[in-house]
Amino acid sequence: MPRWRVLAVFLLPAFLLYSVFIVYPLVSALDYSFFEWRGIRQAGFAGLDNYRDLLSVYPYDQQLWRAFAHNALFFAGTMLIQNTVGLLFAVLLFRYGRGKRFLQASFTTPYLVDPLVVGYLWSLLLNPTFGPVNALLKAAGLDSWALPWLGDTNTALPIVILVNAWQWVGFPMLMFSAALAGIPAEYHEAARVDGASAWQAFRRVTLPLLTPAIGVVSVLTFIGNFNAFGLVYAMAGSTGSPAGSTDVLGLLFYRVAFVEGGVEAIGRSSALAVLMFVFIFGVSLLATSYFRRRERRLV
Amino acid sequence: MKRRWIAGAIGALMLALAACAPGGGASGRQEETAGKVTLSLWSWRVEDVKAYEKILAKFEDSHPNINVEFKPFQATEYNNILATGLSGTAGPDVAQLRAYGGLQPLVEAGQLLPLDDKVEALSGFDAKLLEGAKGHTDGKVYGVPFAYQTLQVLYNKKLFADNGIQPPATWDDMIAAARKLKAAGITPFAVAAGPDATWTLPIVHEIFGNARYGSTAFRDAVVGGKKKFTDPDFTASVKLIKDLEPYFPEDVVAVKIPDVQALFATGKAAMYPTGAFDLAPVLKANPSLEVGQFPVPPPPGSPVTTPVTPGWADGSFGVNAKSTHQAEALELVKWMATPEFGQLYATELKQLSAVPGVTPSDPLLAEMAKNYAGNGAPYTLLVDFRYGQPNGDAVFRDEVQKMLAGQADPESVSESVQKGVEQWFKPGN
Repeated sequence: MPRWRVLAVFLLPAFLLYSVFIVYPLVSALDYSFFEWRGIRQAGFAGLDNYRDLLSVYPYDQQLWRAFAHNALFFAGTMLIQNTVGLLFAVLLFRYGRGKRFLQASFTTPYLVDPLVVGYLWSLLLNPTFGPVNALLKAAGLDSWALPWLGDTNTALPIVILVNAWQWVGFPMLMFSAALAGIPAEYHEAARVDGASAWQAFRRVTLPLLTPAIGVVSVLTFIGNFNAFGLVYAMAGSTGSPAGSTDVLGLLFYRVAFVEGGVEAIGRSSALAVLMFVFIFGVSLLATSYFRRRERRLV
Repeated sequence: MKRRWIAGAIGALMLALAACAPGGGASGRQEETAGKVTLSLWSWRVEDVKAYEKILAKFEDSHPNINVEFKPFQATEYNNILATGLSGTAGPDVAQLRAYGGLQPLVEAGQLLPLDDKVEALSGFDAKLLEGAKGHTDGKVYGVPFAYQTLQVLYNKKLFADNGIQPPATWDDMIAAARKLKAAGITPFAVAAGPDATWTLPIVHEIFGNARYGSTAFRDAVVGGKKKFTDPDFTASVKLIKDLEPYFPEDVVAVKIPDVQALFATGKAAMYPTGAFDLAPVLKANPSLEVGQFPVPPPPGSPVTTPVTPGWADGSFGVNAKSTHQAEALELVKWMATPEFGQLYATELKQLSAVPGVTPSDPLLAEMAKNYAGNGAPYTLLVDFRYGQPNGDAVFRDEVQKMLAGQADPESVSESVQKGVEQWFKPGN
């Protein structure tokens, strides 16, 4: 039997699953987005009308950009907090090996729990009427700190970002730990012998060598944050409470597609899905090629 | 050897694929035995299986040739499941249908049988409730309404008695009562505006503001294009919510529905402005709670001077246009329009039956039904403004939440609602 047939047999299951569950829905969303819909009946070709509606019909014209901005903030906040703290944990665990296994395991446990569960858990903890967080703060005499965390338009999104970081901080930590273990110790030692301070050695030697890991972590964080749904839905409901201050693209899609009804739902939500896919895919490609170039410069 | 291995792999793959294929012999309609027809009835009430089986058994007694199979689905998934089911061949014969804007997508796709000349009893139904089962553009009736909801304030009788408060006769009485309760450390109104509760805000607005914006007369004027939501009366009705905020739980924008249900059920809140649908959960949480109800007295300046009980049709039962047992399916929906079904429904499910002449056995529900019959009004944002995107109700709830979070005022709420519905709403149809 020729070699390609053997290969085909092994590739077929994965290819079938991939086509049925990934390619087909993507292509059909693209297809749906070009039609006018009345319920589940197609009422003729619509060209780019669904896209135009999404960008021009009130309140979607405002909600789309607001949600986009929140996704961008979500990404920036996550990079700044989750990935920096993850790097810090990785470096500390690498330097001072004591309890490494145990700590690594504890930092990664939250990912075993679904984001929806994490979201509900934290919204119970932060509940202003019955939640233990504010009860603790009040018991400690910090009454002025007992804020309605998820009910204040200024604190809601930062809290969501922090809870998300709490859940996923183990991921950058593991990635960076693996990358750190792969850097030969001589580089660091040579730098120190040459008189570099610990910070300089980290900044000039270790950090540049972490570029591949930083690239992977950044791109995956970007994809995860721009597709955020479960956690935000659990903590802020489908409308991105309070007052839309936590609204993200995932929630907007969910509302247009399933919550608000209306006979136009399928066309408009498909158009939004296509826009999100194109943006996330495009940026991920650009970012990946950027990090590749940086990596090549390292060699 | 190698060849046999590959054959094995292919065989395993085939098996796996066969297992994935939909509609094996066991699922789908059961085989008809001895001329007996089995109808499948789809519903979103997973929690009501027992009650429906009891109700449908009565139907099967009087229609020995028909068997009804009750098949409930998760409420949040139901709309999609039903739309898909109706477009294929494995759909239901009779289905529970959403009302108003929720029904329209199925009507436009031509998936339902018009019932106007097929179910005579429909002509006796309340016209307001029948609207929920009508196609928006063709005006045909596509379902037999099964239940309706009324909106009013539930109150804790013991807390009222302990604080020397009577159910209020005027708006000022109500405010005085709220002030007294707050001074006694009790939350006057159990209102939530948190992440899971935005949909209740238009309900709170209806309860306190329906009379203030002018009730049915205003609704007819808006639908007919003679008035807009920016009307000063409507804006004044929105402002009532802002004015009442001091009597809501603290940080209301972070408060969720289970919180207020708990506050009311445990006697920490005295009044709960909500729908008839919340009576059962509240009593389940605390069966010994003594609950009363009152429709809100009209606030000063209202165009309507008697207390109004807003309400809407919950849904209806309709027939799949593709059903292979249409005659039997029609028998079933005809039966669902009889007082026999209505009374069974009201008793078994503790809901307000839409069938005319049925009185609820629960005294509190009976009071609500009486109020609605006496001075009921449509909850217009739900009834008339959910036919397009964005739906009026959705814009309104977001804006009211903004107002409670201090980011909008009553005027901008009204303007946003008007701007939202103008995207698709043309007066007069």
